[in-house]
Amino acid sequence: MNAKLLKNLAMPIALVAIATFFAVKEPAFLGPRNLTQLIVEFSITGTLALGMFMILLTGQIDLSVGSGVGLIGGIAAVLVFQHNWSAPAAMGAAFVAALLLWTAMGTLIVRQRIPSFIITLGGLLIFKGLFWLVIQNSTIPVSRGDEENLYSRLTTYYLPASIGFALAALVALALGLLAWRGRAARTAHQLANPPAGTALAKWLVMAAASLGLVYFFNHFRGVPFSLLVLAGTAGVVYFLTQHTPFGRYLYAIGGNEEAAVLSGIAVNRVLVGAYVLTGVTVALTGFMTTAYSGASTTTVGDLMELDAIAACVIGGTALKGGRGTVWGVIFGALIMTALLNGMTLLAVAPEIKFIARGGVLTLAVWMDVKLGRR
Amino acid sequence: MSAPLLETRSLVKKFPGVIALKGVAFDLRAGEVHALCGENGAGTSTLIKLLSGIHPHGTYEGELLVDGQAVAFHSIRDAEAAGIAVITQEFALVDELSVAENIFLGRAPRRGVCVDWLEMQRRAAALLADFGLAIAPETPVRELGIGQKQLVEIVRAMDKKSRVLVLDEPTAALTEQEVAVLLDHLRRLRAQGTACIYISHKLDEVFAVADRITVLRDGASITTLAVRHASVPLVIKHMVGRDLGDLFPRRSSAVDREVQLSVRGLSVAPVKHAPLFLRGISFDLHGGEVLGFGGLMGAGRSELLLHLFGAWGHRLAGAVSLRGAAFPDPSPGAALAGGLALVTEDRKRYGLVLDQSIGFNLSLSSILRFFRCGHLDLPAEHVRNQQLFDSLRVKAPGQSARVGGLSGGNQQKIVLGKALMTEPHVVMLDEPTRGIDVGAKLEVYELINRLTAEGKAVILVSSELPELMGMSDRIIMLAEGKIGGEFARADFTQEKLLAAAMGRARAA
Repeated sequence: MNAKLLKNLAMPIALVAIATFFAVKEPAFLGPRNLTQLIVEFSITGTLALGMFMILLTGQIDLSVGSGVGLIGGIAAVLVFQHNWSAPAAMGAAFVAALLLWTAMGTLIVRQRIPSFIITLGGLLIFKGLFWLVIQNSTIPVSRGDEENLYSRLTTYYLPASIGFALAALVALALGLLAWRGRAARTAHQLANPPAGTALAKWLVMAAASLGLVYFFNHFRGVPFSLLVLAGTAGVVYFLTQHTPFGRYLYAIGGNEEAAVLSGIAVNRVLVGAYVLTGVTVALTGFMTTAYSGASTTTVGDLMELDAIAACVIGGTALKGGRGTVWGVIFGALIMTALLNGMTLLAVAPEIKFIARGGVLTLAVWMDVKLGRR
Repeated sequence: MSAPLLETRSLVKKFPGVIALKGVAFDLRAGEVHALCGENGAGTSTLIKLLSGIHPHGTYEGELLVDGQAVAFHSIRDAEAAGIAVITQEFALVDELSVAENIFLGRAPRRGVCVDWLEMQRRAAALLADFGLAIAPETPVRELGIGQKQLVEIVRAMDKKSRVLVLDEPTAALTEQEVAVLLDHLRRLRAQGTACIYISHKLDEVFAVADRITVLRDGASITTLAVRHASVPLVIKHMVGRDLGDLFPRRSSAVDREVQLSVRGLSVAPVKHAPLFLRGISFDLHGGEVLGFGGLMGAGRSELLLHLFGAWGHRLAGAVSLRGAAFPDPSPGAALAGGLALVTEDRKRYGLVLDQSIGFNLSLSSILRFFRCGHLDLPAEHVRNQQLFDSLRVKAPGQSARVGGLSGGNQQKIVLGKALMTEPHVVMLDEPTRGIDVGAKLEVYELINRLTAEGKAVILVSSELPELMGMSDRIIMLAEGKIGGEFARADFTQEKLLAAAMGRARAA
């Protein structure tokens, strides 16, 4: 029991340790300005990690997401800046491109039975090349001149205080409603519920947390819009993995693919579905990252696939598939972001940052192997 | 009389949620073969893990004595140092190395810093010859059969001066001749004073080699019997805790006229453009009937089932109809939707997601039934899982327990439960009792009776002729991918069935 508790607390402890370390070295780390920046970076890494999570659950991998992020963001930027499209239309077209590319890649993997590692490694290079072709190795801003558009505001828009509070209240209300409906459903099936007091306390904590978070952000500029993108993605991925047959199938395929086939699961369709969903998160991340750097340049998306994998693995997702939780991925992404952000704040040299990033990834995979052998 | 070589006193071993051993008393004398018998989950494996130091001292209660002295094993090495060697079903041999290298793995004779290869070969050859094994010491282990590998492991254990040899299901994968060779060696070792703990589900072997039998049930040692005063039914009675009565309690049900599954002239190749593997197979299966399929290894029984289920082979000719409707292009999903379920042979490989819970596995094939209004009705799923969990009498703390931690018999129940939850009309069972104990076997047989009483049709594939004959209403023997003969219950004899399996039925 204690070991389990320790395992559950390991991530929060690591996070607190990292935050404390940076805060001591540089008090500005916990300042509202940096924290808001950190949240935007966290939203970007977290959204991509949630897509990677679904692929890793099936026991496969997608190495192409980093290049994909650059490519999709680049397509939208070129359409806006060079072809004068409106931002929503440009992003819509780039989104469709992401869906097509990931459908094609997923289909290739399941039809030809080529390991995803190889196909997506090819994807990594091909998307990179396409990306540079699309932006002509230059820098393409996400808006024309000084005007603002939906694209450029993705990571610079903050919810007004009142709307933030209203949203938090809505979330609290929805959580309460879901919990209440869950209890009613269990009662209808004559199943025991946890004590009402516990459930109420749990709900109060969650409601207080969401309101508190908004209160905190309102001290600076408000809740960052990008955080809503992450929260929405996390909600959808949580629902898909925990409350739909599709999610069960992801876990089953990763746990034992042969048994999944013989259990009547259309494994190929599920896998393609997982890749398409990853494509969706690639598009969302691509828009946010490009908007965050203000323009599409050749380095956008570099190595993001590794950050996404590291976030999943740190959060307890097994590389061999079949094990992992959305909460873990969120925590993993937060740890990864805090590390990168803190190092930037301390003006750590890029070469050292590479080494640290690699070290964290290696450590996470080592832990995965150790825990996997239990 | 001197102290026993090995003794345990009131051993208790607890796992989270389960008490695996609750007071086991057991003793082993020098120069005896002492069999441990018990159903899966009775505690034999746990006891072995205590004796061999895998569960170290301090993780259990009770005493372990060697030569009358209390000992505390902290690791496998401690147990080995005390002369206890365990030979499990999973070999601890390195396939790519030679027999000699394996025998002296980790303790090769040396000359300076170099391995003394000649000395190693010489000593290995002597050991092998001493053991009466005609294996050259330089043979790579990967070229050996399973029986020979087992013997090489024993040779290695003996060279380590082991006084106690623990054999865990040593004959599970052996042919009859190999079993005979192994038992001969055990008798010779016994004559030289080595003691042996022998664990097997196969009671005829136990009676052929053991001096005494200790029966475990539900983690307790029930009794220790001298073999010359015991009998197979008596041991089984102690193992399951009651009289079993008939070993094959087939109750024939009214067979209805309606054909549930019809196969006509089925010819299948493993893959496109490959030579045919199944040739011209035709049969009808009626509701309420158990149709047995027998045959030698490689006769095509599992392949036939997998093909009907849409998971194997490329059909070149023939037609299949399922409950009156043509079933031309099978897939596991379509088969399950049409009321055809398959319980596969290798449950760990093809049947279960071992890392997941019992509930996850039970509902895996039927999860779409609980998908209502856009989300899974988890309470309804829980209730349905619990019904099966209870009716199959799964021994586990609850449906959230990990399937990988269950005994073979309980795992098999989960695979059966998964198939049953799809509410099939035709159930195909491929070796449903392989590797499970007597009590669980009986429960599988009762389940078959229940299915046919409900008017369902059952196909039973089994390598054990007594089981096939005991439980089938009709038997088809396959020989090299063709039907070698079909028999009604009145015509069941081992001779006729075997002749058909060899493809000699029509000649006879």
